[in-house]
Amino acid sequence: MAAKETREIATKEKQQLAKPQEQTRPGRYYVPDVNIYEFEDSLKLWADMPGVKEKDVNVTLKNGVLTIVGQVATDMYAGLRPLYTEYNVGNYYREFSLNEDIDESKIRATLRNGVLELVLPKKEHAKPRRIEVRSV
Amino acid sequence: MALLRFDSDLDSFTSLLSLQEELERFMRNPAFAMGPSGFGAYPPVNIFDSPEGALIVAEAPGLDAAKLEVSGVGHTLTISGERVFEPNSDGWGYHRRELNEGKFSRSIQLPEDYEPANAEARYEAGLLIVRVPRSEHAKPRQITVQTA
Repeated sequence: MAAKETREIATKEKQQLAKPQEQTRPGRYYVPDVNIYEFEDSLKLWADMPGVKEKDVNVTLKNGVLTIVGQVATDMYAGLRPLYTEYNVGNYYREFSLNEDIDESKIRATLRNGVLELVLPKKEHAKPRRIEVRSV
Repeated sequence: MALLRFDSDLDSFTSLLSLQEELERFMRNPAFAMGPSGFGAYPPVNIFDSPEGALIVAEAPGLDAAKLEVSGVGHTLTISGERVFEPNSDGWGYHRRELNEGKFSRSIQLPEDYEPANAEARYEAGLLIVRVPRSEHAKPRQITVQTA
C-alpha cells in the first residue's frame, strides 16, 4: 500500500495502570499496548514491553482471564544520573477476559525485541466446523 | 545532585522505585536542549550522564535492527527506522490494534562536550541504547598541585 509507506510513527505516552488490584511489589505499572488478531484456530496477541527480558514475563490463563505481567530490568541504570527524561520505566500488567475457549496447555509465548507474542490455540470444540449442506 | 544508588543488597523492586522517582524528577527538564525535535517525537528517550559520557535510552519495541540507523554529525545524533507490523493475514480480523507502526527519524542535539560521531549503539529488549563518549577535553582531569 502506497499510503502505508509514508506513514509516520506516532508517539503515545505510556499509560499508568489504574490499580485493578493491590500489588505486593512497589513501583509503577504501565498498561502495555497490544494487538489481538483472531484466526480460525487461534488468537494471537502482541504486547509492547520494552525493557523486559524473557525470564521476567509471566502469562497466565485462569477462569477465562488472561493476565500478562512483565517485570522491567533496571540493572543497566546503575550508577547513572538522569539529565533529561521523557518516559518513566516500570513493569507491565494487563488482563483480558477471553470469550473464546482457549486450550491453556497449548499457549505459546515468545519475546522478541521487547514485544511479547502469544499464540492462544482454540479448543477443538470451539473451532468452527464446516457443515455440509446436503441436497435431497 | 543525587546519583542513583543501587546497592547490591537492595532488591530489584526497591531499585525500580528509586529509579522511577529519579526519572520523574527530571521529566522533560527544560534545561537540556533537544534541538529540532523534543518531547513528543518518536521514539521517546531518556538521557543519562556517566563519567564516560551520555547514555541515551530510547523505547522502540518491535524494530528490525538491520533497518535501524544511528548517525552522529557534529553535536547531533540522529536515529531513524521503521516499524512494520505484519501478522500473516489469513485471519478473521482483530480485536485490538494499538501497536505503533510506521517510520521515524529523530535528531537529538547534545551539549558540546559530547562526540556523537564516536557513539556506539545496540538494540536490546526493544530498547535502543546509544553511548555517546565525552570529548577528551571535557573529561574531568585531576590537577596536580605543585609546591614551589
